[in-house]
Amino acid sequence: MDNLILALGWAGLYGPMALGAIGSMIGCSLAGQAAAGALLETETGHGRYIGISAMPSSQSIYGIVVMFALNREITLENAPGLAAIGLLCGLALMFSAIYQGRSCASSINVSKIRPEIFGMSLAPAAIVEGFAVFAFIFALVISAGVPA
Amino acid sequence: MTRYYTLVTALPNLPPLAECKQLPISRIALDKRLTMLSDNDLLQLQLAEKLYHQSELSLENLPDKPLILDWQRKLEKITSQPIRERICSRLEWQSLLAALRYRQEGRIGPESFHGFGRWTGIIRHNWHDPLFGLDTALPFLNQLQPLLSKRHSGELEQQLNTFLWKDLLFVERSFQFTLETVICFVLRWGLAEQHIKSDASLALDSFKRMSEQLLGTPAITQHLESAFEELS
Repeated sequence: MDNLILALGWAGLYGPMALGAIGSMIGCSLAGQAAAGALLETETGHGRYIGISAMPSSQSIYGIVVMFALNREITLENAPGLAAIGLLCGLALMFSAIYQGRSCASSINVSKIRPEIFGMSLAPAAIVEGFAVFAFIFALVISAGVPA
Repeated sequence: MTRYYTLVTALPNLPPLAECKQLPISRIALDKRLTMLSDNDLLQLQLAEKLYHQSELSLENLPDKPLILDWQRKLEKITSQPIRERICSRLEWQSLLAALRYRQEGRIGPESFHGFGRWTGIIRHNWHDPLFGLDTALPFLNQLQPLLSKRHSGELEQQLNTFLWKDLLFVERSFQFTLETVICFVLRWGLAEQHIKSDASLALDSFKRMSEQLLGTPAITQHLESAFEELS
């Protein structure tokens, strides 16, 4: 039982990084596929399509920061706390990256038709990013309460 | 469900049907992009296109009853419910217009009418009603019937195509990056192609009429005669 609790502690420590990276991979891939299609259909503005497709990569960075904030010697006392914060934060980062990728793909699709709405079409992706930032900031805040 | 992010963003924007003067992508280029579909989805698309855009030849080859049985058999193979509904709606309109034409020409009575879809029974039952008693269920029919009775078949086709275009666009925008999006786009592309072709034939007809009228005016005839005399 002790080993299981310690294993969960390790999963919580590495979870934000791993789950954030998984989300970023999927999100960047979705947006990247949309950007690749838009390149076929447009003459200009290619750089911004590729730029948007990299937006979901920020969740990986948040994951790395949370992992460092949680990094400490894992004991039976702090392992449950690390598991709860790390895994939940990781899941939040993963889903936000995937759905941000979808928002970015839609943004690319509509701004290809009407380039003047490019900025406005990015608003949903920015809002999703906002929720990822919430998960990230409050994971940092709450990690201070986990025993060292 | 397979999602087609690259394919959907690689499809060009189709302007509103009335403003469509030129296709933004040729059939050859479109077919090249459609190779991104999986084999099964490509078959679904081809089947949907065959049912939605039927050539006049295929309509003439079979009498009504076997034709409708053939449509029903093919429709069962379409796996996407929204696409099946769009095709059903298209075929129902086709049946409805056929019924209006048959009645107008007095070719057949209600007992020999074979139509497709929900309205067939109502059409037979209300055969002598101007709009088959469907004016409340299908308000758009009110706009089509006068065009048919005046034999404005070009305008009628245009009105119906605009209606179908909006219907397809609604579904296309409800599904993002799925097979439904692609199929609705290709079906709209087909409507745009029909529109441009009919526009071209209408323009040719009006040009012929105008040239005949012009050649018939005395001033032009006199001018031509004097030109021929000079030449000889």
